[in-house]
Amino acid sequence: MNATATARRKLRTGPRTVGILTTNHFSPDGNRVVYGGAERYALELSRLLVDLGFRVEWWQIGTGWQRELMPGVLVRSMPAPDAPYQTLPQLNQLFNERAVAYDLAIYFVVFLAYPSAVERSIAISHGIYWDYPGFDALNPTARDREEWLRRLWIALSGPRKIVSVDTAFIQWANATWPGLAHRFEYIPNFVDLEVFAPDGPDGAATEAGRRPVRILFPRRLTGVRGLNEMARAAEILTAARDDVEFHFVGRAHDDKLEKEVLEWALAHDRIYYYWKPPHEMPRVYRAMDIVVIPSRSSEGTALSCLEAMAAGKAVVASYAGGLPNLIIHGYNGILVRPTVENLVTVLDDLASRPDVRATLGARAREVATCFSLQVWRRRWTRLLEEVLGEPLEGSGITAELAPPPPAGT
Amino acid sequence: MMVVYNEAARFLARVLADLEQWVDQIVVLDDASTDGTGDICRACRRVVLYERNRENMFSTHEARLREKLWRMVETVRPDWILAIDADEIFEPRMRHEARSLVEQDYYDAVEFRMFDLWGSEEYYRCDGQWNPWSRFSRLLVRYRPGRGYTWPDLPVHCGRWPLELRGGLPVYYSDIRVKHLGWVRSEDHLAKYLFYRERDIRMYGRPSEHTESVMAPPSRVQLERWREGKVLPL
Repeated sequence: MNATATARRKLRTGPRTVGILTTNHFSPDGNRVVYGGAERYALELSRLLVDLGFRVEWWQIGTGWQRELMPGVLVRSMPAPDAPYQTLPQLNQLFNERAVAYDLAIYFVVFLAYPSAVERSIAISHGIYWDYPGFDALNPTARDREEWLRRLWIALSGPRKIVSVDTAFIQWANATWPGLAHRFEYIPNFVDLEVFAPDGPDGAATEAGRRPVRILFPRRLTGVRGLNEMARAAEILTAARDDVEFHFVGRAHDDKLEKEVLEWALAHDRIYYYWKPPHEMPRVYRAMDIVVIPSRSSEGTALSCLEAMAAGKAVVASYAGGLPNLIIHGYNGILVRPTVENLVTVLDDLASRPDVRATLGARAREVATCFSLQVWRRRWTRLLEEVLGEPLEGSGITAELAPPPPAGT
Repeated sequence: MMVVYNEAARFLARVLADLEQWVDQIVVLDDASTDGTGDICRACRRVVLYERNRENMFSTHEARLREKLWRMVETVRPDWILAIDADEIFEPRMRHEARSLVEQDYYDAVEFRMFDLWGSEEYYRCDGQWNPWSRFSRLLVRYRPGRGYTWPDLPVHCGRWPLELRGGLPVYYSDIRVKHLGWVRSEDHLAKYLFYRERDIRMYGRPSEHTESVMAPPSRVQLERWREGKVLPL
């Protein structure tokens, strides 16, 4: 333990504290939460920090309201009137003023660390978020682009460590600013292997035979997730063959889109649109045969991809962001460029080949064991100890450099 | 739990027939009905407690009526409580998914989108505050025995839940839809408008914008076709 850490420990009178700055865990009015990957990451990170003895407090955009993220963990809100160059400098500064009271600050999204980061801090990259076509229009001139990059560099330079959920972001940053390489830690996303498993007491995991082949799109409804390509593929395939069934499962960010997708699904045979509470999702995965993650952009190591793999399903994914960190094409899933034609071709093929689905699914489950929640918690704990410069009591950390042995050994 | 009043010729039998497929117990407070409402309730096998007021309480002090029903419900030791009116009916998915909604530890309240079917069961109203897509209604709440539950001293517009169950409970917003049949019969609109108008004036001194919109001219009423939902094949 270094001298600064020792001095800090003496000054501390209660439990360690951590403040986490995010954009929108709840909607800015505080009334809506869409449980996508980021929100579940927030829950698991909160659970880990609480288990390690931290008092955890979240901050986000809002009008001053506060809500519970989980029992004992509050989300407080602050105004963020402007977002120049896709940054939130006022939110950052308001948070940093409060962060002097914390032992650790976490910027839950990288750009929230602009223009400054407190000394003991970590930022998280959930993947490259600027690879969708519309982003270029947000910074239409060379000067705009330069300013956006300058701000991103500052955001990456300030925190002690940058956790990246995939290698794509790290590789881009290393190629762009080699001097920042030492700041990055690759901690891929996680899956609870006991909860997301091929078999469960619900008996949902019956393979197709007397029922249609079930194809799942388990994402929030946005264009970057490949919603439109997937919807068109579903229309084509349900019209072409009567033994496939499509399930679109997830909320949208606005009510109008939820209405449109529901009405669209109700107008088509064997296309379903709904969403389920988190505790029901393992059963949903078990009841499926193929899971599709056709993201066009803005992707990390998607929790939904890991959950589908852990459930032993045949996964069809794009190669956006960190998805190739999870899927080796042809071994434990299929990687495609997510066009309508490609999706129709690969899904039509997989729907007819239960043996291939079974092989891909079994290997997907095996690979998923490398991304277990326990491994993720250990990696995060080790990083927290490094940044704080002191061991975390009760963390029970053991060296964990080699991957776990394959399932069944 | 349900308050009823002269529902025999309306939707009560249909609502109870649906509820008895997926709830364990139904507690009914009859607010002095003068028709066959009591017979319909007593014929429902899930109605475990039925009581009839001698005098109508809804028109004199709604909160006391709601509190009385609440105390009745507490005697049957519920785990979760559904607060539903005699003209509200869930889409069929609920029969299959209700149990999974409550068998969990993540949230203590469930809210649903409520669709006001308008003039028939073919269409729902969606203009202004009638828009069902932008609002969720809290209809299902976990009951915790021993916790003190209190009611506001409001003669009108007192709400379905005690004060402790209205605020910041962990909530799940369900996509299972609820049909409100109370506006299905156009011939009822004027009488219902006058009833709510009078209550608004008592409470707020003037009719609310929402109440006034009941009698909006047809050109200002926006309707959309109701499509029946699919039962999930899972």
